[in-house]
Amino acid sequence: MSRWSDETQIRAKEIISRYPEKRSAVMPLLYLAMAEDGYLSDEGMTEVGEWVDLTPAQVQAVASFYTMYKRQPTGKYLVSCCTSISCMLLGGDEVLHALEDESGVPHGETDEEGLLSVEHVECIGACGGAVALQVNYELIEGVTPEKARQLVQWLKAARPEAVNTDEMQELFGGVRSFDWAIRDEHAAVGPYPGFQPLGTIRQAGEE
Amino acid sequence: MSVPLVVTKRMTDHPADSHTMERFEATGGYAQARKALDMTRDDIVELVKSSGLLGRGGAAFSAGLKWSFLAPARPAYLVVNGDESEPGTFKDRQLLERDPHQMIEGIIITSIANEVHHAFVYIRGEYAKPARRVQQAVDEAYAKGYLGKGIFGTDFDLEVTVHLGGGAYICGEETAMINSLEGRRGEPRLKPPYFPAAKGLYMMPTIVNNVETVSDLPRILEMGADEFAHLAHENDTGTFMMSLSGHVKKPGNYELAHGITWRELIFEVGGGITDDRELKAWIPGGASAPWFVPEHHLDLEITKEATAAAGSMLGSGAVIVMDETTCMVRAAERVVRFFSHESCGQCTPCREGTTWLEMILRRIEEGQGRAVDLDLAIGVSDGISIDLAWPPKMTTICPLGPSAVSPIKALKDYFRSEVDAHIEGEGCPFD
Amino acid sequence: MLISKGRVALLTDLLTIKIDGREFEVKPGELVIKAAEDNGTYIPRFCWHSRMKPVGMCRMCLVEVDTGRGPLLVTACTNEVVDGMSVDTEGDTVKKAQEAVLEFLLANHPLDCPVCDKGGECPLQDQAMAYGPGESRFVEIKRTYEKPIPISDLVLLDRERCILCARCTRFSEEISGDPLIEFMDRGNDTEINTFPDLPFSSYFSGNTVQICPVGALTAKPYRFRARPWDLRMVESSSNFDPAHPRLSIHVSENEILRLVGVDSEPVNHGWLSDKDRFGFEYVRSDNRLTTPLVRRGDQFEAIDWSEALDMVSNRLGLIGDESGGQAIAVLGGSQGTNEDAYALSKFARTVLKTNNVDSLIDERTPAQFLAATVDRGLISDLDTADTILVWGPDLKETHPTLYLRVRRAAQELGVQLVVIHPRATGLDDRADRILRYRPGGGFELLKDLEAGLPADVFDLLTGSVVAIVGQASLADDPQLPESVAAVIRDRAEKVKIIPLTSRANTYGALDMGMAPDLLPGRVAYRSDAMESSWGELPSGQGRGAKSIFEGLRTEEVRALLMVGADPARDLPEEGAVEALELAEYVVAIDAFMNDSNRHADVIFPAAVFSEKEGTTTNVEGRVQKVNAITPAPGSSRPDWAILDDISVRMGAPMGLSSVEIVAKEINAVAPAYQDATWDRLEWEDRDGVVVSDADGALVHIPVRLNGPSAPGAELTLHISKVMYDDGVRLRNCPSLRPLAPGAVVHIHPDDARRLGAQEGFEVDVTTSKGEGRFRARIDVDTPAGVVFVPQNQPSAPRLGIDPVVRIKVVT
Ligand SMILES: Cc1cc2nc3c(=O)[nH]c(=O)nc-3n(C[C@H](O)[C@H](O)[C@H](O)COP(=O)(O)O)c2cc1C
Ligand code: SF4
Ligand code: FES
Repeated sequence: MSRWSDETQIRAKEIISRYPEKRSAVMPLLYLAMAEDGYLSDEGMTEVGEWVDLTPAQVQAVASFYTMYKRQPTGKYLVSCCTSISCMLLGGDEVLHALEDESGVPHGETDEEGLLSVEHVECIGACGGAVALQVNYELIEGVTPEKARQLVQWLKAARPEAVNTDEMQELFGGVRSFDWAIRDEHAAVGPYPGFQPLGTIRQAGEE
Repeated sequence: MSVPLVVTKRMTDHPADSHTMERFEATGGYAQARKALDMTRDDIVELVKSSGLLGRGGAAFSAGLKWSFLAPARPAYLVVNGDESEPGTFKDRQLLERDPHQMIEGIIITSIANEVHHAFVYIRGEYAKPARRVQQAVDEAYAKGYLGKGIFGTDFDLEVTVHLGGGAYICGEETAMINSLEGRRGEPRLKPPYFPAAKGLYMMPTIVNNVETVSDLPRILEMGADEFAHLAHENDTGTFMMSLSGHVKKPGNYELAHGITWRELIFEVGGGITDDRELKAWIPGGASAPWFVPEHHLDLEITKEATAAAGSMLGSGAVIVMDETTCMVRAAERVVRFFSHESCGQCTPCREGTTWLEMILRRIEEGQGRAVDLDLAIGVSDGISIDLAWPPKMTTICPLGPSAVSPIKALKDYFRSEVDAHIEGEGCPFD
Repeated sequence: MLISKGRVALLTDLLTIKIDGREFEVKPGELVIKAAEDNGTYIPRFCWHSRMKPVGMCRMCLVEVDTGRGPLLVTACTNEVVDGMSVDTEGDTVKKAQEAVLEFLLANHPLDCPVCDKGGECPLQDQAMAYGPGESRFVEIKRTYEKPIPISDLVLLDRERCILCARCTRFSEEISGDPLIEFMDRGNDTEINTFPDLPFSSYFSGNTVQICPVGALTAKPYRFRARPWDLRMVESSSNFDPAHPRLSIHVSENEILRLVGVDSEPVNHGWLSDKDRFGFEYVRSDNRLTTPLVRRGDQFEAIDWSEALDMVSNRLGLIGDESGGQAIAVLGGSQGTNEDAYALSKFARTVLKTNNVDSLIDERTPAQFLAATVDRGLISDLDTADTILVWGPDLKETHPTLYLRVRRAAQELGVQLVVIHPRATGLDDRADRILRYRPGGGFELLKDLEAGLPADVFDLLTGSVVAIVGQASLADDPQLPESVAAVIRDRAEKVKIIPLTSRANTYGALDMGMAPDLLPGRVAYRSDAMESSWGELPSGQGRGAKSIFEGLRTEEVRALLMVGADPARDLPEEGAVEALELAEYVVAIDAFMNDSNRHADVIFPAAVFSEKEGTTTNVEGRVQKVNAITPAPGSSRPDWAILDDISVRMGAPMGLSSVEIVAKEINAVAPAYQDATWDRLEWEDRDGVVVSDADGALVHIPVRLNGPSAPGAELTLHISKVMYDDGVRLRNCPSLRPLAPGAVVHIHPDDARRLGAQEGFEVDVTTSKGEGRFRARIDVDTPAGVVFVPQNQPSAPRLGIDPVVRIKVVT
């Protein structure tokens, strides 16, 4: 007896059908569980285990291996700042400090309101556009400490339902790893990747 | 220096819409997949072998040869490695985002050549936008009958599943990726016995290839093995993407042929050092690679052999450039921190050693270093990668642990005095 | 199929390898670490365990191998030998690697060896001394965790000591099949843990303590009790699991401190269930009887041995003289050694002159089928079968060794598995096919099966089949297991039968003749069958347990001798207590007072388990030696000695004056046992010998009978044994006692909804034979229409044998 919404259950079945063995669906199902509860709760892991015939302990063993399954409640916006070598060389630590300072949220934590979480992360594959950060895994490249502060202010004030990488890049970004060419028409709705099979994207601008 | 572009041609010629099905087909897309359907399996494998295409995921192993090792049991699987997480590397992201159909066509060709009927594209979880582009392209290909049951009207079936990672660099290692795809912790498996070509995904024969490797295939079929092989200088073959980052004026991905020198790469392709400062060091092949310094390496040719002879590797093609203002202890700490954070934790030396190294470096950087600390760090490194030899004598299952000693080696070989300055001055001289 | 069903590869030519310069011949397929060890070179290791798949994680076993392409540093535990390979286990590179691994392992390891249970027998401590760098260069702050956290009722986990060898996690996943303990997090934060609020409640958790190479996992019943250097030890077999897993008894100051599994290839591979491992506490219980007791009114009084022996001899003699041997009956024998059972069997037949003997009290599967079926299977036959059929009790609950072996066969060796039981069992997750039936309806299912339905199951039962058959439920007809065996024998090409009964040494007791239709050595009962040794025996059919109790009620049976028997609890029919009260004279030999011997006139205190020497016979007919290492409390003595004394006083001395004499007599008179001599068992056959068909021994061909159908009731009652119950020995094991589920009734959610019951509700359960109050457990593993009640639970009312049941929620 699933606690999940009908829509999530339909997605879960669809996801499981994409793999030869259902255990393979653990990772996408963990994202579904996060989308349901806003984070990966113990109940969420138990539920995932029921879908794929694993004990909750086995599910947690998998979930806790990866950094993107947040087992504590996270803000509506998860701001992840890269401080790996290439970004560090171009001021990643300073951008992180600007984020922490402006939001009042230290690395790894969430503000009281549940709006913003700030974390520093290892390389996110945007080294040519250092300093890079992501909001709900939507990328902004070429960020300066000043722009980082503006981003925080904007998130707090505008509180977009969903975040779009191109919109944020225009507002707060700079140098890019490469030409992004055309706008992405999608936006991410929570602190997990915006990806069709997970149902965690929307059309940009749609409320 | 300029070579005919292979994987980045379409996106260079048609920046606005290179990722769309329309543009892809208008520029010859999916013709090579159709062609492959008319070829025998052996012919394709032979062609790829003779093209000299080397894997672009880091190990630079011949793609055709890898395919020819596939064990006969069926079903066989293909896993396309789009986990790209090594600091400095961002080339696959561009290929996934800007030309996903090219990769899908490569998947079709690889699948035909290896009797694969289910392929997986494993994309790191943080690459939401690239994954969306790929999923959209996959959906379009299904809609057109290029994927799914009986592709292109033949009786060849091919399913493609796009799988999102969860945030773990180690899943880029092929057997860790297979574990992860099976819904397990992304821990590398033992080789032997779990060579993917024999006992891979679900214990069946499995090909793992990098996104770029697979994306190269349509053009190789189009231009022929010979032409591809001769794109590069002398001993090398084809083109390959290099990601430039750090203190260069023009960071970015460049599709190049092997054989130019590091000086040409950094000062011409990369436009030189930011604000025309002095070059201090660079990492030639992603964060795992032993570092190079201008005194010894600037005029070396960028080839697999020359780099190996100089004690490093081209790896994933990521070049991280550091100028004179860079604190080497801090840079080393940052690289070691990465490997410590990304260690899967199975092997004692990697789990304990990388974190120990990180602690030592942080202490030195924060002014708490002791005179013995560099030697201690070298000693700890010695336990992960015996004698700091090249190629490494690993005490671990996979090369992640031994990768963490590259920065220590750089401090030992080139920057001892900078470490001493930290210790004597009880703090970072660059602060 | 890819895997050759576990069959060992042909012993092709041996390979030649060099280890540290010396040449050896080794078997192909062998791991370097094993090949080296077998040839005298010990390569240090932590994660490798010979009974689990190698993971190569700890990296302690690094060696340099050269197969012609230059030296390569590899783990000896993950690489197989190759012809011509040379292995260097002590060169500079290897030494460096070993020192490094040890230094890394110790970097974060606490320095609490003096207070650690593992101190003195710790592989980490030992190997650090032998291969370590001597001193640590680690000056950073060590990783800390909350000190020992309970991860189950029996096991504590100290994560600071853990070296992440994955032995416990592999055990729970690969061996026992309850993956509740796992690696969590990654890299330097990796730890072993359980899911929040979901303990490692495995019946096999104690094994993880045994295989943990450091003091990270400790057993509550052992913690801080002793230091290993105080210990004396002796090898023996478990006295619970009828497979008799081998174990070593560790004793300090004459008390058992722990039992440790011993790796016996044919039987238990070193594993023990928690009941077998921790179920020793009763031995040192204060509730043990220590002197003979005699009833005086409502009270028992201690008396001395000679008085008690005289009293009993006189009275039994008198009754025999007055009414003949048929007025006396003997129950028990399944808890002691074969020597005890032999003495009891001989005592009944030659001294009491009765054939009213039975060791089967609650399980009525025919004795001749249990003891002497044709095609009797071995435990190791499971490894090489095409298909295993389990139609009987839930092996995880009642036959832990068989459970592990079947699981391994299905999971690791590619053997197909069919499980038939009224509800879910511990093997279902590995079964290729599962069939369920309503309790009492087994014969209907068997008829279908015989007719080829369901076809896929029928198809699986071809080729070589091992059929494990036993009574799955009290509601099952006792003839069902034998009929199942008969049907499978018709169907499969090659059959092995493992007939089940669940008490410790019932197979031994039956082999010693403790059933009305059997004599020692698997000989069918005939009054002249043992003329040369025992003389003329009583004629006529003896009574079995059920008939003995009828006889007590009709007063045709006047006296009863119970040896390690508790029919008041175990006799499934009602009325045992009344019968015992009615009985004219009751004598008991036992270690504890129980619900039955409470009604005795005289009770003799008996020695148990580690207090006596002898042999036992397990589920496959394997005879093993068990050994004494602790003194029996007070003046308790082994059953055989007590019986021999009585025989002397009754004027018919059995001549069994020492246990060696008993043993030799068994070899001499019991045809199947002639080769199972102590000499052999103690020396060349430490794993035991399987007694088999001998001249004159019975070969029983299973017979297909017909039995009742399931009653047409809305709810059908399924009563069967679970691992922890209210047996007197477990009741006296403080660590295990709380683990019994108690008076619970398992109800499917659909039935619960209809009945208005919820988890934990009190419900009244009624059958025509009994009634009482239980706590409801809502359970998807019990099919709708079936309710499951664990047998013999503390404070549980008795429901008798009647599958028709009604349930009402207490309001
Ligand atoms: C620690 C580690 C990380 C790796 N990460 C990646 C990666 O992100 N992408 C990749 O293509 N290959 C990566 N590899 C290499 C793969 O194991 C594998 O060799 C490669 O995917 C094979 O593809 P190729 O032959 O096309 O290069 C990694 C290897 C190691 C040891
Ligand atoms: S070297 Fe590190 S990352 Fe690689 S398997 Fe060992 S512990 Fe895992
Ligand atoms: S014993 Fe070989 S790696 Fe642990």
